[in-house]
Amino acid sequence: MSNNYDVIVIGAGNGGLAAAAECARAGLKTLLLEKHNIPGGSASSFVRGRFEFEPSLHELCTVGTPEKPENVGQVFQELGAKVDWRTHNSTYRLIVPAKEDDPEGFVGENGVRVKVDAAMPVGFEAFSRKLDSIVPGSYEPSMKIFKLSTLMFEAFDMLGSGKVNPVKLMTKYGDVFKMMSHTAKECMDEVGLPEKAQGIFTAYWCYLGGPPMRIDMLYYMAMMHGYIKGGASMPHLRSHEMSCAIDKVIRDNGGEIRYNSEATKVLMKDGKPCGVEINGKTEVYGRYIICNVHPNFALPDLFPADQIPEDAKKKANGRPVAATLYTVYLGMNRTKEELGFHDYSVFIAPTADSDEQFHLSQGKMGGGYVIINCMNEAIPDCSPEGTSILFLTGICYGDVMQGVKPQDYKKMKTKVADEMITRCEKTLGLSIKPYIEEIEIGLPPTFSRYLNTPYGSPYGYQLDMWDSMLPRTIQYGKDQPFDNFLFCGASQERGDGYGSAYYTGQKAAGIVIKKFKEGK
Amino acid sequence: MESLLKSFRKKNAISVIMNRQKRFAAADDSVPSGTDAARELARALHPKKQYVKVAAVTERAADVKSFTLVPDPARGTESLAWFGAGKYLTVFVTINGMPVTRAYSISSAPKDTLEGKYELTVKLVDGGLVSRYILDNWAVGTEVTVSAPEGNFEYQPLRDAKTVIGLAGGSGITPFLSMAQAIRDGDEDFELILLYGSRNKDNILFFDKLAALEKACPRFKVVHVLSDADAEAGEGFEKGFITAELIRKYAPQDAPYSVFLCGPQQMYAFVDKELEKLGLERKYIRHEMFGEFHNPAAQPDYPAGVPETVKITVTQAGETKTVEGSSNDSVLQILEKNGIAAPARCRSGECGWCHSLLISGEVYCPKQLEFRRMADKQFGFIHPCCSFPLTDLVLDVPEAK
Repeated sequence: MSNNYDVIVIGAGNGGLAAAAECARAGLKTLLLEKHNIPGGSASSFVRGRFEFEPSLHELCTVGTPEKPENVGQVFQELGAKVDWRTHNSTYRLIVPAKEDDPEGFVGENGVRVKVDAAMPVGFEAFSRKLDSIVPGSYEPSMKIFKLSTLMFEAFDMLGSGKVNPVKLMTKYGDVFKMMSHTAKECMDEVGLPEKAQGIFTAYWCYLGGPPMRIDMLYYMAMMHGYIKGGASMPHLRSHEMSCAIDKVIRDNGGEIRYNSEATKVLMKDGKPCGVEINGKTEVYGRYIICNVHPNFALPDLFPADQIPEDAKKKANGRPVAATLYTVYLGMNRTKEELGFHDYSVFIAPTADSDEQFHLSQGKMGGGYVIINCMNEAIPDCSPEGTSILFLTGICYGDVMQGVKPQDYKKMKTKVADEMITRCEKTLGLSIKPYIEEIEIGLPPTFSRYLNTPYGSPYGYQLDMWDSMLPRTIQYGKDQPFDNFLFCGASQERGDGYGSAYYTGQKAAGIVIKKFKEGK
Repeated sequence: MESLLKSFRKKNAISVIMNRQKRFAAADDSVPSGTDAARELARALHPKKQYVKVAAVTERAADVKSFTLVPDPARGTESLAWFGAGKYLTVFVTINGMPVTRAYSISSAPKDTLEGKYELTVKLVDGGLVSRYILDNWAVGTEVTVSAPEGNFEYQPLRDAKTVIGLAGGSGITPFLSMAQAIRDGDEDFELILLYGSRNKDNILFFDKLAALEKACPRFKVVHVLSDADAEAGEGFEKGFITAELIRKYAPQDAPYSVFLCGPQQMYAFVDKELEKLGLERKYIRHEMFGEFHNPAAQPDYPAGVPETVKITVTQAGETKTVEGSSNDSVLQILEKNGIAAPARCRSGECGWCHSLLISGEVYCPKQLEFRRMADKQFGFIHPCCSFPLTDLVLDVPEAK
């Protein structure tokens, strides 16, 4: 077989899979390299005993229905990748525990003193009414925000259709541009959403890794709108099903996939990438390279130091790494009913203020949010009869493993997991520990190992007002180190999330395919 | 249409971009370090391979030897990866041009890794190709390549009871030996009561070491269960086999306990029936994998009419070959016997390292070794180490790194 390819994709994460599938479907001779033995990166699964765990996916918005697929659903439909989606009609329940002497505290549903206990429904109207019942005066401002986000998607549709009417864009959709250049916090203040309601409204910030003070409203609502409008979906067989489905599309379209094949070097010719060295020994050549490895690792790991463009080095050094997650996976020998779970996602926050939550997560584990998910709420048959699957996720920022020795790591994992489980038990007023049949604990080194990202972060670079989707999108071309070497994945313009990563992979593929068509 | 964000001014996109450019212009222009504590820790715990040398060989019994392995800096290993007691190393050897792997539990203390030492104990397996090779060939100075520590046969304080009844048979003592030392050293925190089955006193591996550990560590107790009719009796000995009754005798009377098993396949067949009598919750019973599965045709659900020999067409890193093998061998064994190195670690179906795509053909996987992911079954991925060919096969197998 010839060692020459039209395009080589490094890394079979969500971005790399989507890129390789698009290129193969367009008839390009495509090689996808992955250093692990399975596809997906974050989108994977692992088996312990009689349980199969989901390593990363909490929920996917915008899958839609087979008849009316939305963004993520469309990606799969267009690729011809078949996934058995399970949709569940809930959003989240936010609980802020209260201290004994807190005057705002009350005894919540589970018999535990709380400051906030908000189980939020799907639907803009229902969501806003519920918010109003908790914080009076929230209905109107909440509905205004959903009106803004509805406008925003209309504007996206118009921009995407290619039939842009500049006058209409500026008159009808003027607010969309304002959302883009103002923080979520500024927008909520502007429409008059009460402070306490803001904490509930922005509980999803943890999915983006940036608090309402630091991210623009357009970005926040691009996610929030989808969840509240249509609920969330999960693949039936964990996200490994999604990755396998795309793997199949690549092969069915003549693409080649090599697992256990780590790109160890990018080969250069006349100052431009021309190929990849695999596992330190085999060389393959490609006109284009799409790279699903985080730039902060890809640049020093793959390129000779003197061949990295100065701009690429500055961009890697000048952007803070986004949030890192740590997760405890639990296979329970009781059903969710026996345990007392009736919510899919419960967000446990140490304080009602999102920005304070953000600050409490800096530089350490255990300080901020804990999200507890009961997978059987979304996928009732995800585990054998009489059992259930829970997963607990925390969020932190920075190199939290500094000073941890290998011999202390196991104890650290146990301690972090123990504290998270205890916090959930206390906040929800139920018992978890006696029923743990299987447990796995993923801390930043775990994610570093499987995702190969700085601090093990799955989220790319911190989205912030100065480095938001808008300038990232406009400067996409300038952010790529070479014109035939394009990055995809969470490090790119849309930040984290499966949908964002697929998008960046498709986008990079689209550029490559276009250049081929133009004969370049 | 009236604005909902009246007091806001639109910001100029150009100024947003200029601002971003300014941030980048001021950034450091050195090559990104490419490292952080999380990555270093992951690398220290999970090296791709460990290059070691045999530093000492100890005869434990007839056809049983322990090998002390130390780092081989000349081949790039400066220190050994820490491990949780109970983990195994996969050994990579090439025998007559045949690249094969075997998993052996580490019998030394986790703390010994800080002094640059692992100990593996190898017992001759009936007809065992690799154990024979290692026992005959490894000597002081032999260069050996092993994996990072692997496996899930470990104590987990949030899952397991405070007391573990360890059930060991033959060389299945090795992970327990490591656990006992880890308890002594303060690296693990549980009570270990070990029921160790041997034929007679002379067959007991590590007898003195176990006795010394028991003396040094009040949280570790060993009872030798001897099956020969004329075997030794007395304090610390029991006659017969590991039965439910015996477990009851040594288990805590009023507190939960976990049972950990490590031994040969025949031992599990016997002990599992005994465990049923105890009515323990499933979470309290944990088995170490027993290694390769043999003679699939003896399984009740094995289909009839399987040809004796099969052809396997295998693509690996873009190269395609067709090889022949016996349907009594696993797909992995057939590949290895034909000189094809395939990725493999546990060889028991569990770890998934050998994960490969079955493009066409049919295989048989014994139920008890079915650890594949659900989507793998749907999309045709198999674990070749526990898949036995029923027809000719076409496979895509990842490179053995």
